[in-house]
Amino acid sequence: MSSGRVPDFGPLVGAYLARQDWAQSALGSFGATSLPAQVVDVEVLRTEHPGMASVIVQCRDCTFHLVLGWRPVTVAPGVLGAQSDAVLGPGWDSTGEVLVYAALADSELVVRLLESVSGGGERAERGRVVQSLVSHASLVYDDRLFMKCYRVIEPRPRPEVEMVWRLDAAGFNHMLAPVGHWQRNGRDLALVREFVPGAVEGLALARTSLRDLLARADSTNNGAPFADVGLAGGDLGPEMRRLGETTARMHLALATAFGTEPLPRGGVGAAGGGGAVVASAVRVHGDYHLRRVMRTDSGWLVAGFGDDPLMGAAAGAASQGEGRFASPLEDVADLCCSLQIAAAEAVALQTRSTRAHAGVLAQGWLEHNIAAFVSGYMSMAGIERLIPGTRPDVDLALSVLRSARDSEGGSEGA
Amino acid sequence: MADRQLGGARWYEAAVFYELLPRSFFDSNADGIGDFKGLTARLDYLEWLGVDCLWLLPFYPSPLRDGGYDVSDFMSVAPECGSVEDLAALVEDAHRRGIRIISDLVMNHTSDQHPWFAESRSSRDNRKADWYMWADDDQGYADVRVIFVDAEPSNWTFDVPRQQYYWHRFFHHQPDLNYDNPDVVEAMLGVVRFWLDIGLDGFRLDAAAYLSKKEGTTCENLPATHEMLKRIRREVDRHHADAVLLAEVNQWPSDVVDYFGDSDECHMAFHFPLMPRMFMAVRREQRFPITEILAQTPPIPEGCQWGIFLRNHDELTLEMVTEDDRDFMYAEYARDPRMRRNVGIRRRLATLVGNDRRVAELLHALLLSLPGAPVLYYGDEILMGDNIYLGDRDTVRTPMQWTPDRNGGFSTADFAQLYLPPLMDPVHGYQAVNVEAERRDSSSFLHWLKRMLQVRRQYPEFATGSLEVLSADNPSVLAYLRAPRSRSEAILGNGADRGVPTTDAAAADEEEGQGATVLCVHNLSRFAQPAQLSLARWGGATPVELLGRVPFPPVAETPYSLTLPPYGIYWFELRE
Repeated sequence: MSSGRVPDFGPLVGAYLARQDWAQSALGSFGATSLPAQVVDVEVLRTEHPGMASVIVQCRDCTFHLVLGWRPVTVAPGVLGAQSDAVLGPGWDSTGEVLVYAALADSELVVRLLESVSGGGERAERGRVVQSLVSHASLVYDDRLFMKCYRVIEPRPRPEVEMVWRLDAAGFNHMLAPVGHWQRNGRDLALVREFVPGAVEGLALARTSLRDLLARADSTNNGAPFADVGLAGGDLGPEMRRLGETTARMHLALATAFGTEPLPRGGVGAAGGGGAVVASAVRVHGDYHLRRVMRTDSGWLVAGFGDDPLMGAAAGAASQGEGRFASPLEDVADLCCSLQIAAAEAVALQTRSTRAHAGVLAQGWLEHNIAAFVSGYMSMAGIERLIPGTRPDVDLALSVLRSARDSEGGSEGA
Repeated sequence: MADRQLGGARWYEAAVFYELLPRSFFDSNADGIGDFKGLTARLDYLEWLGVDCLWLLPFYPSPLRDGGYDVSDFMSVAPECGSVEDLAALVEDAHRRGIRIISDLVMNHTSDQHPWFAESRSSRDNRKADWYMWADDDQGYADVRVIFVDAEPSNWTFDVPRQQYYWHRFFHHQPDLNYDNPDVVEAMLGVVRFWLDIGLDGFRLDAAAYLSKKEGTTCENLPATHEMLKRIRREVDRHHADAVLLAEVNQWPSDVVDYFGDSDECHMAFHFPLMPRMFMAVRREQRFPITEILAQTPPIPEGCQWGIFLRNHDELTLEMVTEDDRDFMYAEYARDPRMRRNVGIRRRLATLVGNDRRVAELLHALLLSLPGAPVLYYGDEILMGDNIYLGDRDTVRTPMQWTPDRNGGFSTADFAQLYLPPLMDPVHGYQAVNVEAERRDSSSFLHWLKRMLQVRRQYPEFATGSLEVLSADNPSVLAYLRAPRSRSEAILGNGADRGVPTTDAAAADEEEGQGATVLCVHNLSRFAQPAQLSLARWGGATPVELLGRVPFPPVAETPYSLTLPPYGIYWFELRE
């Protein structure tokens, strides 16, 4: 069944957007029953039922991207089930009356969307929405591919899209590789990347390690020091060393992809000092902590260039900011702070009687794992081009940066 | 278990193997040494337990300087173990019960007491002068590592009678055979034929990677070695089409798959790197050591199977782990230096896991549900301990503990006469740990294991199904699916063609599991853990727990939530 004519979306989008939390958040406007929305661009992806179109809507100073579907009014309710919130309303195509709805509520259209976005290059048997945020919806296909379908459209290229593609071109393979990219009239509409099932946040590994260690916390006042308790079975050191290597690879790739800049006056961080150990600034990750790194069967992946499906919903507020050039040690320090926060949180979960000894053990754990992480980082061939300083210089610079983070209130992630 | 039959040519794919030392199993004639008649007398027990194939460690005449792997006569039985006739009777009785028997075949070397070597070393021009690897100096094969680093400074040893050096990959009293010599090849093929004619169902090929030597190489995995193994396979197929060749190749899976050839070399090969990683995963309380090595394990040809194990008669080898991981394993599992040997840990399962039954169950659940044919080690089914004060690997080769009586029921000989002293410590000694007590206690580990073997038998997917590791948000949770590779394969591959039940009741069991998808979930942590599994593809299916047949809430589109007790195990059938 096909139609040369598609429903008129214009009358439907205002009321629909007014019901969407994500649109209200983007506009900073709550409580309206309808919004002054204007359809400015439509690309019809399918005319056969179920139909599908990519619709750009201007609403106040925001530009939204809606992927809409439609089916005959006799069919659509059965497909949508209880997802009444996805319905925009009735419309007409050349076959008759249809119901227009958000396409992501229709499992068939979710699969068709991947085909459209990839120009037919990718197909999947099954797709599902795994996350719904203000800026985008995340979809996973066959536990193989992941799509970010943007809702809030920016007038310029999205930094994460640029970052991902340029890192890929620089040969950095410790991230979810980009597979496809949907762009229209200079607007980024969707990004398709590999999905790695079984990935686990670095924070989960750190907590596993701490759990093992802190189970030995003694409630008496004479608990043994970390050196005597020894490393717990869940020693994180080797993993941290590998993560350090991956982090160094990331910085080298960033330097290749975006070049380097002279380090701003004042040293490696806001606190200043220690600048002599860093040769130049690179475009940093900027939001580097234990929820931005994922352990997979093939090693560590770096996520969070924008956001990632591998991260839980709580990590959804990833940085969307402009790319920033700074000392690569800022990312290193951020990760160290993240370890520190993880340790502190684990200690806080202890009972009052074991907390003191747990704190001693956690401090040993922290020093051990930071040392392993930095060792791995500094061992990567080529990193000396960015960080020509000696290890003591680097440790000093990191302590300065970490102190600065502490005074700012700590890293966001862990 | 009398309903079991021997099955067809691919019986080994679904088999559960049981490795034992005849000398340590049961002594029938009160000489202090286990023997074939004793083993035959204990077949009732092995049949009750539910194993499919016995793997006998070397029983050949030997000076016993390496646990019998220093063979001094390939075509005979060490007198203390009995006779060839005793072995034939054992095989016949075992076959009657549906149990097969394979033995170690030590092809790479002989004892220096073997007549072949005696003749070879006697001069440089005798008939067997080049049956071994002789050289005028010890400079050859400089790239080859020494395996027994604790005992041997070099792979060359000077022989005074011949005034030449001979080559040995293992102990100096185990000279390597020269397979470039066709007479050696023929002699070894004769050994193979001899034992197949007695009725053995195959061989575990000891040190299979080292047969051929070539200057400038590591002398491991060489093409000529593969050619020799294929030659043996052809000989085996000609004489006993159901026989199995199980390769001992302590290498990476990507190298070991070569030993399957194009289904024309070894039927099976041990998956060595998986073993230490199971222990590592439990102690680290995270799945990655296991999932990483599974991801690096390539597919194997049709009709081939991995042999997987937790412990065996050797040390827990750490050759296939990184230095970091080796240090970790020593620190966690071998704090006493006496527990270490060569590049490994000479301890049994029970002592490795601190006698924690929950960990033993978890590790066995992994063993029985991961791809491959599980190989149990005698005594581990009752959580026998070890004796690190004994030499070499005798630590893990002490007599089987049958009863709380004298010598653990192993022998009525005087204690001083025993082959090795049985364990008598208060925790692992035979008074506390023995078959009699465990059989009488229906909640014992032995009964648990027997039950798990029964469950495994009902689901052929455990043996030959595909493996899909599932996403779980919790790194301490390891979950995977074992599913039929395809319905047609499952039907063709797991019916009468295998060593599977054939009576009505057993066939009904088999039908129950036919074509099923099994979900295995394991908590690697000593603490209770939540898990959320990606099972959307199975939306609507009902997980039915395999031990109690308890239906769990159906799977929905959202991640499936489970709570696992410490070291908890769930095996489910996903019923659509």
